[in-house]
Amino acid sequence: MNLLDIKNLSIELTSHGENILAVDRVSLALKDGEIRGLVGESGSGKSILAQAIIGVLDDKWHVTADRFHWQGVDLLRLPLEERKQIITKDVAMIFQEPMSCLDPTNSIGEQIEEALDGSKFSGYFWQKAQQRKEAAAKLLHKVGIKQHDTCAKSYPHQLTNALCQRVMIAIALAKQPKLLIADEPTASMEATNQAQIFKLLESLNKLKNMSILLISHELEKISHWTDYLTVMYSGQFVEAGTTEQIFNTPFHPYTKALIASTPRASTNLIKKSLLHTLPGSIPSLQHLPIGCRLGPRCPNAQKKCVIAPQVESFQGHQVSCHFSHRKEY
Amino acid sequence: MLNFTIRRLNLLFFTLLMLSIVSFSLSYFFPGDALVNLSGEINADQQRTEQLVELYNMDKSVFHQYTAYIGQIFSGNFGISMSSQVPISDELHTFLPATIELCLAALFIALIFGVPLGFIAAIFHNKPLDKIILTFAMVGYSIPVFWFALILILLFSITLSWFPSSGQLNLLFEIEQVTGFKFIDILLSDSEYQAQALKDAFMHIVLPAIAVATAPMTIFIRLARTSMLDVLESNYIKAAKAKGLSQAHIIYHHGIRNSLVGIVRLIGLHFANLVTVAMIAEVIFNWQGAGSWLIESIFARDYTAIQGGLIALASFTFFINILADFLYAALNPLERHKKHGA
Ligand code: SF4
Repeated sequence: MNLLDIKNLSIELTSHGENILAVDRVSLALKDGEIRGLVGESGSGKSILAQAIIGVLDDKWHVTADRFHWQGVDLLRLPLEERKQIITKDVAMIFQEPMSCLDPTNSIGEQIEEALDGSKFSGYFWQKAQQRKEAAAKLLHKVGIKQHDTCAKSYPHQLTNALCQRVMIAIALAKQPKLLIADEPTASMEATNQAQIFKLLESLNKLKNMSILLISHELEKISHWTDYLTVMYSGQFVEAGTTEQIFNTPFHPYTKALIASTPRASTNLIKKSLLHTLPGSIPSLQHLPIGCRLGPRCPNAQKKCVIAPQVESFQGHQVSCHFSHRKEY
Repeated sequence: MLNFTIRRLNLLFFTLLMLSIVSFSLSYFFPGDALVNLSGEINADQQRTEQLVELYNMDKSVFHQYTAYIGQIFSGNFGISMSSQVPISDELHTFLPATIELCLAALFIALIFGVPLGFIAAIFHNKPLDKIILTFAMVGYSIPVFWFALILILLFSITLSWFPSSGQLNLLFEIEQVTGFKFIDILLSDSEYQAQALKDAFMHIVLPAIAVATAPMTIFIRLARTSMLDVLESNYIKAAKAKGLSQAHIIYHHGIRNSLVGIVRLIGLHFANLVTVAMIAEVIFNWQGAGSWLIESIFARDYTAIQGGLIALASFTFFINILADFLYAALNPLERHKKHGA
């Protein structure tokens, strides 16, 4: 059974009386214990999608879906409050720019403690306070922070970005979530810190069987950690499959170009040769092409592409394109 | 924190320095003799004039005159009033506390109503309640205080006779003046009508305080609203929502404190505005404060009193400013703590 099963989720942005379809019928499924990467350029709607899943978008955005199942429970049938409760109980999220995601006027300790489930503690309030403190210290240990006392007393601006991200992970772990959504968790960090954060996430995945949805714009960087990948372009679903399928046999012209554009040690590049890229850049939300949004940039595009393609599945490898490269392999 | 304190005290020192220079130079800019303007003694005879020249170093350079002036101020000698020939320090002691009382009461009202209303407006952003509060703030901001004060008197003291229209305390109560703060004086006195006197003093302060508070309150409403809106848009509120905290918890624990940090910083700035409004209200409500006293002095061309009043009121405003800064530092850990990093 899928942990999370979303079909044709659309997100509409209403601004100045105009409706813009920021995310156009995207499907996403996650199994228990898997690490799935969600890849797309900035502006492809991947962060919005993640925020829609966890339900922190404000009223400007309208989310609709054909199916939204969490552990087999159809969330669309539940009232809003109940839906929120289920999601926030089992799903946690860490964001980019971790420092701005921590309240600058509260100490780290307070912020971890408030994420803890109050019903787990017993006794009088001072005993509870003690237990809370210990639980918070334990969480800090779990994310590799040994000086828990100093850290708990600090305020966010006193810590580095990487430490703040660890704290965010500790806060996320407080609920013992089944799914952790990591939205560019290592953006603007040094390479060593990035690797450490990824390793931490991987170990949490292995030890606690926690599923992770890893969002990034760098296909190459996260592919090392992921089992499955979903690629998005300009708010539309592009391709999904195992990491090997995507890398070895990309069906979609966009994915193919994306992989061709990342230089690898194994490929022999002639000096100063141009990397293979698609012409143009991702369209802005105000000027979206109709049909397949890759159309104007796509080498395979034909007349038919003004109608958005349907998702087709070939042995778990899903692609959404009229003229895919599937037959070439 | 020590660094912060030193920086603030430094600021206080230099503003007071500038203020004293301005005040001192006024005695030369005002028409008439500088010595008379400084001392306020219009009818001094030959002998007294010589004494004064000695006292204010008038025969020496301007710099010496200035240091002598500062020395006199620090020993509490602001000269005497040109019109009443009473020492300015005595007059300030009588009138300034009343102004401070009124200003603080007004500030209190403005904050206690303005800030929560602003928060409520932000929480119900773009809902009817928000619009109502904003309209109210707009109207309150546009009403001139002298007109509003008269309307208050007309409505609440003449028509409804709920509150007295002028003065600080009914003359029936014989309260000895010790500090000049009416409420403190009443508490210090051993009058058998203490409780009634307190109530009476309270009734007297209500209308003027409301009149003074209205304009600053509307400013605080808008400040609090924007501040809260900014905070609610911020990433950490989004992250707090993702934690599964309830809306009430988020606003109470994360929203209020963070938006207060933004507001407190500006309180000091708007306090100067409030003092100006208070001066006008004092005249209308016949409030025996430094504001109405200063306005009278201006009419009487009592230059010595103008100088003294300027120094006293400005120092008071600065003092509140610095106080607001310390409050800001107390609320905001960013100001207090150094980075200690990895
Ligand atoms: S549907 Fe057409 S335009 Fe879109 S990716 Fe496929 S070939 Fe290109």
